[in-house]
Amino acid sequence: MKAAVRAVLVALLLGWILPALALITVPQLTGRVVDQTGTLSSGDIAQLTQKLADLQTRKGSQIAVLIVPTTDGEAIEQFSLRVAEAWKIGRKKVDDGALLVVAKNDRRLRIEVGYGLEGAITDVTSKRIIDEDITPKFKSGDFAGGISAGVNRMIGLINGEKLPEPEPPHWDGFNFDVFNPFWLFFAFVISGVFRHALGRLIGSIATGGAVAVLVWFLFGGLAAALGIGVLASIVAFIVDFLPTAGSSTSGGGSSGNSGGSGWSSSSSSDSGSFSGGGGSFGGGGASGSW
Amino acid sequence: MRKFFTVLATLSCLSLTNCGYNAIQTNDEQVKASWSEVVNQYQRRADLVPNLVNSVKGFAQQEKDVLLGVTNARAKVGSIQATPEVLNDPAAFQKFTQAQGELSSALSRLLVVTENYPQLKSDALFKDLMTQLEGTENRITVARNRYIKSVQDYNVGIRTFPNNLTAMVFGYKDKPNFTVANEKEISVAPKVDFNPTPAPAPSK
Repeated sequence: MKAAVRAVLVALLLGWILPALALITVPQLTGRVVDQTGTLSSGDIAQLTQKLADLQTRKGSQIAVLIVPTTDGEAIEQFSLRVAEAWKIGRKKVDDGALLVVAKNDRRLRIEVGYGLEGAITDVTSKRIIDEDITPKFKSGDFAGGISAGVNRMIGLINGEKLPEPEPPHWDGFNFDVFNPFWLFFAFVISGVFRHALGRLIGSIATGGAVAVLVWFLFGGLAAALGIGVLASIVAFIVDFLPTAGSSTSGGGSSGNSGGSGWSSSSSSDSGSFSGGGGSFGGGGASGSW
Repeated sequence: MRKFFTVLATLSCLSLTNCGYNAIQTNDEQVKASWSEVVNQYQRRADLVPNLVNSVKGFAQQEKDVLLGVTNARAKVGSIQATPEVLNDPAAFQKFTQAQGELSSALSRLLVVTENYPQLKSDALFKDLMTQLEGTENRITVARNRYIKSVQDYNVGIRTFPNNLTAMVFGYKDKPNFTVANEKEISVAPKVDFNPTPAPAPSK
């Protein structure tokens, strides 16, 4: 009886574990080149990463390289799409991302192309890159050379394609949150000064204008700046109705935590942290083997 | 008292979540968009077929049956309009998926035949067309998967409580999903036979 119970328990537990074993997990996006097999030397990886970072700075497009030992029975097309959907390489709405996936022990590889690059890197072109540039080198064991040659050709194709201009790099550093209380605190401070100098109505409008100019100067978005400016002027107007003692201390108190929670910098231009831009994929590209 | 609570419940349902009406609309539009993408990719495949037939004809014009089969299947697909209204008519949906399935079978028969022609297989144009066909088939698979997911969201949305009441009031039905045409057939493993088929006897 006890053996039967144990058997049932084991069967139930296996039922939980086995589905999880069915598909391998998508690797973490730790950088532009993710090598789970240790094939590429750190010098190769650094060189490749620099090339890809330059592409992003120059054109805004993102290319990533993934080397896994095996896809464990899963078709490389399906695996590549899962990785692409998880990593979201390429800019949102522009969808200019491309992924080179190599399953080393399976001896299969795939170039997965985002919607926006399907004109530059067509299926036929992807197949040509694989057959002419990558697999000959792979066959002779030169993985770094093969990947580098393939990536070079992809970069060449992307260079020739007309895409939206990339954002200037240092503006990418700030993840601007519209509901950020930082500008609110700023509005409190400036509004006090302006209201004393110019009176309630004009002081509020001047506060809004100053905040708008500052936001526009720092973040370059005119619509956001105008919106924030209007909100700031309304806030400044309302603040005037609050008792003056309360507003000065609340201004001092909120500065501490709003300053801290203000900037959440996600720099995408240096090798420190690379993240996908939200691009989507439709299954374009080509696969090959060697 | 009960009347008051009934009215209160209805009002709160209507105001807070629109009783799921908006959610149903969103999901419905998502289904239509995914369906358009599926149709788009199927159309892309149909557009490849004439070139493929021509390139095969250049090397294997004696394979008349197979080539004719592909051409006819493509004509049949072209004659079926696949607007979003197809989703509300199960018979039309069935007709559409059946026609696409026939084109798939005709194409795979053509590809099997091309295995006998090494010259054709090494022709550059044919190789490019094969790459494009594989890419399109992959895109079709992706589009179908996304359609299936959107239909799942929609169907779950109109079948769970309390949105199923709203769906009933406005007459929203389940949307059709892709089925495998012949489940019994594919559950049997295919027989692999490496013996080449004997050459047809020469006609006297």
